[in-house]
Amino acid sequence: MFGPESAHSPNADDLNALYWVLLAIAVALALAINGALIWLAMRYRTARGSEPRRLRSRRPAQVLVAGSFGVLALVLFVLGVVFTESASDVEPSGPDGLQASSQLTAQRDLSIPVDTEPLTITASGQQWLWRYEYPDGTYSYYELVVPVDTAVLVELDSTDVVHRWWVPGLGGKFDVVPNQVSRTWFKADTEGVYYGSSYQFSGASYAAMRTEVQVVSPTEYQAWLTQQADDIAAAQDFVQEELAIRGEPGTRSGAASVQPVGGEQ
Amino acid sequence: MSGAITPQRPELVSEGVPSRRPRWLEIATSGDHKDVGRMLVAASLGFLTLGLLAFLLIRLQLIVPENTLIEPVTFNRLLSVMAATLVMLFALPLALGLFTYLVPLQVGARSLAFPRLANLGAWLYIVGGAVLYISFVYTPPEAGVNPLPPLSDTAFISNNGVDVWIAAVGLSALGFTLLALNLLVTLRKMRAPGLAWRRLPPFSFSAAVSSWILLVIGPAMLAALTMLEIDRHFGGVFFDPGEGGAPTYWQHLSWIFFTGCYLLMILPAAGAISEILPTFSRKPLISRRAVNASMAAIGAIGLLAWMQNMFTASIPVGWLYFAMLAALALIVPLGVLFVNWLGTLASGAIEMRAPMLFALGAISTLSIGLTAELAHAVVPVNWLLADTTDSTGATGYVLVGGSVLGGLAALHYWFPKMTGRLMGESQARISFWAIIAGVQLTFIPMFLAGLNGQPVDAYKYYEDSVYDGSGTGLEVVTDSFQSLDTYNLLTTIGAFILVTGIVLSLVNAVRSLSHGVRAGHDPWGGDTLEWLALSPPPPHNFDVVPDVRSDEPMRDIRDAVRERQAPAPPAKAESDEPVA
Ligand SMILES: [Cu+2]
Repeated sequence: MFGPESAHSPNADDLNALYWVLLAIAVALALAINGALIWLAMRYRTARGSEPRRLRSRRPAQVLVAGSFGVLALVLFVLGVVFTESASDVEPSGPDGLQASSQLTAQRDLSIPVDTEPLTITASGQQWLWRYEYPDGTYSYYELVVPVDTAVLVELDSTDVVHRWWVPGLGGKFDVVPNQVSRTWFKADTEGVYYGSSYQFSGASYAAMRTEVQVVSPTEYQAWLTQQADDIAAAQDFVQEELAIRGEPGTRSGAASVQPVGGEQ
Repeated sequence: MSGAITPQRPELVSEGVPSRRPRWLEIATSGDHKDVGRMLVAASLGFLTLGLLAFLLIRLQLIVPENTLIEPVTFNRLLSVMAATLVMLFALPLALGLFTYLVPLQVGARSLAFPRLANLGAWLYIVGGAVLYISFVYTPPEAGVNPLPPLSDTAFISNNGVDVWIAAVGLSALGFTLLALNLLVTLRKMRAPGLAWRRLPPFSFSAAVSSWILLVIGPAMLAALTMLEIDRHFGGVFFDPGEGGAPTYWQHLSWIFFTGCYLLMILPAAGAISEILPTFSRKPLISRRAVNASMAAIGAIGLLAWMQNMFTASIPVGWLYFAMLAALALIVPLGVLFVNWLGTLASGAIEMRAPMLFALGAISTLSIGLTAELAHAVVPVNWLLADTTDSTGATGYVLVGGSVLGGLAALHYWFPKMTGRLMGESQARISFWAIIAGVQLTFIPMFLAGLNGQPVDAYKYYEDSVYDGSGTGLEVVTDSFQSLDTYNLLTTIGAFILVTGIVLSLVNAVRSLSHGVRAGHDPWGGDTLEWLALSPPPPHNFDVVPDVRSDEPMRDIRDAVRERQAPAPPAKAESDEPVA
């Protein structure tokens, strides 16, 4: 309730760990200020016979206060840098992941281990749906299917306006800007469904611009890829036939994710 | 001496003296800083009412999941207009109105440096605001809180809504820049003898810092707006990603501006709080120098942190760290400011009058908003929280704490100076507690909804059951997007309480104009020069401008008067005692 989505990817671990630090500091500061405020306002009421004393603080006291807040700022800055770097380090795929698969954050500066090659998927935002393209050229709309325990590099791209991609539990959110590739990554540790959305106001149906990540085993992933490729081919054949018969493209409800349906399914 | 005086014909007859113009025309064309200030305050509170109406409509749409009460496009228009109203038509002009009214009085000047320029600035803003609202009869803006290209380019929004936004924000920004320039010259050139910078009252000092900020951000935004307009209608490609431009340029320029606006929600309130606390604790700030220095540092460092709003953009990691450093460095002056406020309360004799109540509420609300914002200042946490309703909540706390509660504290405090009457005390209390309750109930659920992933600015959200994994044959791993219905319902209830509280204060102000208890020139025993002038002050403000010999000129004057009235050895008020 008071925390973010539990982390299911190493970079999400980093983000969440620092979140709890910041939550603790913010709550402590807010409680301290408000507690002192209420106590002082009660304690020194004229109604309680309080007489004013014209206290003036000297410079060393102010410097001490500024210095302690300065230390806090510095500690937070160092933590911020360390965790940003750590979240930008792409981890190699694990033993359960797709092997021989596996660099940059809008995250412009992702660091990718040299001996591995992550599974690279292009996530393309368009008003108002997400299109995912896999290394073999297969594509899907709305849903992204990936193997578990596998480092997935997501290249973010837009065909129209600025969007922002985020799936809670799988890392941070990053801008999706036309003509500019930015990247993020995740390595999902649990099979199942993760939901996400666009987080940049992008016009009328922005609220419907949702997405879904399905994390499956490597064998299921391969099977899904093959099936999806077949579905796409079948759909294209159908369109060709319709064109030949009627001279105009027909509509057909094939596999849902072959057609652009946005988040409204 | 006897007999009645009989009326006689005037002995001097002059032709061609213009007859007195109607009062409203006098005020509308006046170069008197008090007329301009009142006009700005009145207009900003009027626009606040409209902005709150839009806010309530937005909250009604979000009261239940997948609500169809308001069309998506209508929602987006309300959203765009609400955001522009609360920042550009309420927060900034309220602060500038109070500054324009009070700064000349506080520094012992008889007018502003450029009286006509102030009038022009106010009208540019009022016309800008009118343009925004008149657009409802044709096409209001619909490109969101910040109309990011390419969405705001004609390729995606071809109607004139974005042009309306450009005109409204541009006219207001120009007006504000002129008002700021005027204040700066007045502060620099027209201070009473002896009123050195270090003796400047905190409210006037915050006016100086705020004006400097406006001189930086105003021209930047005017340039950005011009470029956007050229892109839209004159074949420009400044922000066109396909033609060598980049949307990122707009992000930088607009975020410099909006970061400045954010600071202008905090600093004027900080200045007002720093005057109200001493007055109602019957003791000076523990260090005026530290308070003023903090405000200057907040302005300078705060502006450097504009990229804090762009942590999710593809910018080199070195720049991310620079922005994070600046955003975190703000802790230092903000912390010093809060500690000085608390220290000023300690050992005081606190009288809990309405201005004091609102000032304490402003401190409390600001502290929550600013500590919540602290989490957004750290890059990895920002990646989690940015653009969820969590960021709306954090900004909401600052807007309500600074501009609303801080603004109302200032209004209650200086209302008797501006009108000669006090605002109703008991209505003020009801209003205050409604706002305090409303703000928690509105924004805390927003924090929780944001943690559950609710995107910012969306016209709807979905029921929990939409996220049950049906159709995939897979388990749902996360519990994101759950319970949004409960949180949004609470927020909507809170919003109605909050708005009721604010409206009660506005009604109180209007009613007190004619029904308020009459106040003398110095109802609170303030220590700054504006309390020397009559309430309301005459056009020339002061008959005699006194020499300023300390931080607290009115205290010196009161002491002098007391000495003259009681020739016996005066019980000189307690002198200052230093503490560690
Ligand atoms: Cu989008």
